[in-house]
Amino acid sequence: MGLLKDIKNLLIGMKITGKHLGRHAITIQYPEEKWTMPERSRGIVVLLSDKETGELNCTACMLCMKACPTGAIRIDAPRDEVTKKRTLKGFVVDNGLCCFCGLCEEACNFCAIKMTPKYEFSTIHKEELVWDMKRLQEVGRDVDYVDTRKKKVAPAAKPAVAVTPAPAPVTDPPAPAPAANPGEEKKEG
Amino acid sequence: MPEAKTVTINMGPQHPSTHGVLRVECELDGETVVKARPVIGYLHTGIEKTMESKLYYKAIPCTDRMDYLAPMSNNLGFVLAVEKLMEIEVPEKVKWARVCLTELTRVASHLVWLGTHALDIGAMSMLLYTFRERELIIDIYEACAGQRMMSTYFRIGGLSDDLPRDFDKKVRNIIKVIPERMKDYEALLTNNQIFINRTKGVAVISAEDAINWSLSGPMLRGSGVKHDLRKANPYSGYENFDFEIATGTNGDAYDRYLLRLKEIRQSLRIAQQALDGMPEGPYRAHVPGVVLPPKEDVLHKMESMIFHFKIITEGFKSPRGQVYQAIEAPKGELGFFISSDGTNRPNRVRVRPPSFCNLAALPALCEGRLFADVVVAIGSIDIVLGEVDR
Ligand code: SF4
Ligand code: SF4
Repeated sequence: MGLLKDIKNLLIGMKITGKHLGRHAITIQYPEEKWTMPERSRGIVVLLSDKETGELNCTACMLCMKACPTGAIRIDAPRDEVTKKRTLKGFVVDNGLCCFCGLCEEACNFCAIKMTPKYEFSTIHKEELVWDMKRLQEVGRDVDYVDTRKKKVAPAAKPAVAVTPAPAPVTDPPAPAPAANPGEEKKEG
Repeated sequence: MPEAKTVTINMGPQHPSTHGVLRVECELDGETVVKARPVIGYLHTGIEKTMESKLYYKAIPCTDRMDYLAPMSNNLGFVLAVEKLMEIEVPEKVKWARVCLTELTRVASHLVWLGTHALDIGAMSMLLYTFRERELIIDIYEACAGQRMMSTYFRIGGLSDDLPRDFDKKVRNIIKVIPERMKDYEALLTNNQIFINRTKGVAVISAEDAINWSLSGPMLRGSGVKHDLRKANPYSGYENFDFEIATGTNGDAYDRYLLRLKEIRQSLRIAQQALDGMPEGPYRAHVPGVVLPPKEDVLHKMESMIFHFKIITEGFKSPRGQVYQAIEAPKGELGFFISSDGTNRPNRVRVRPPSFCNLAALPALCEGRLFADVVVAIGSIDIVLGEVDR
């Protein structure tokens, strides 16, 4: 009796397996077919350029470097002696260190750094994972983004009555940024 | 030389059914296990220590990497602990969204458990089915946070971003689909005589022992102890939800299997309630100087911009004190203990990982039993070595 019941239960299981036999495979044949990544995907980090001028949006405020928990971002931006402004000389992201957490994008106020749905960047040598400014910019060229920076400046000028003090920081935001302790970032690895 | 009575063999650290790099030193007398000793430390990553060197908000990505099958639960435990320390009250919407997501995480974690546990026992196709269902949940992580496993979605005082537009639709789809598919799992396993023989009466632990071993989660409830932190010590608004604590009776691997299936159903029920009652509102608390202000404000207001800058560069100063916040993670009680010395970094972070505490009971589960049952015992504890070793 028990044996018959066991066999019956096994057959029920086999039926389910059988049901799936005729089904279409849900596997994607990767290099030929690709999955569409959702818009918030956190793939490689890129630098965004201005849509009109084609120049980098980055103002070298160093916030992303400080927000990065792994120290994957290194920015070279010496401060001008006279104007006290920083000019962006180099921007390096070490994809080997990056943990794709997205904190750098959250830190940036200038739509300058973004996590993209791109994920194909494997290399043979780990040195090639270190991307310099040029490469980050090239890869970021075709990335679409909403330029909150510009959009906000334009309407802010119109209703000047309501937000009179507001537009001031927008025009010159990096000024207070590098002023704070630049030695701080060394501590964190 | 006297003849050796027993033989000691190592199971692992590279063994497919130890679910990671766990080594079990087994002393065998024939086929019977005389002694079993779990040896851990092969995946030690120093996450607790790393967190101590980071600003509070930078420690969140570390938590994902402990129990990588339930990233949202880990995030939640840590952010709740920091919110307790900083005395931050989060908006209602955040609470509900967090509950919804952590319950989905529980489902995903249990699905992986079910697949791998069945695979250990020999039912291979389960793994394929459960991973297919888990994919639906992982897609939601990806839509919300942008990543499939290391989600880092919760922030101190809120979420990293608002819930995506089609969140509601996607979660409702899951709530509809998974119970349907679970009927298949039950048809495959629940009455399957091979599965029953391998799990019934195996890896038994009595309620008293379970409490004495300080077990938690399904390991504890499987023995009939009705203890669930979501009810016993509600956090993140769990008191608003109506659900039952599933319990087992015999405390064996089979009961824990049934229990986890019940838990999946209850979790989906909670997720449904969270969706139905999801309030409108901001996705971040307004706590200047601690929680990042919304991006629009940062671009408009000088004040917000300064706060943004300060939080990113220096973090926030926490008051002196110690907090412990425990949540009911899929695997049991996940607790974060933070000791703060008044600086912007935690002085000490200690995690009470459910996998580690539950794994300690492995000798009690398999001593005196057959060697083949060790695999079942490890499987039914549901460990993730990333969390055991941290
Ligand atoms: S935060 Fe943005 S603007 Fe500032 S340095 Fe980084 S990328 Fe450039
Ligand atoms: S994603 Fe995270 S780890 Fe990677 S560069 Fe940005 S902040 Fe650093």
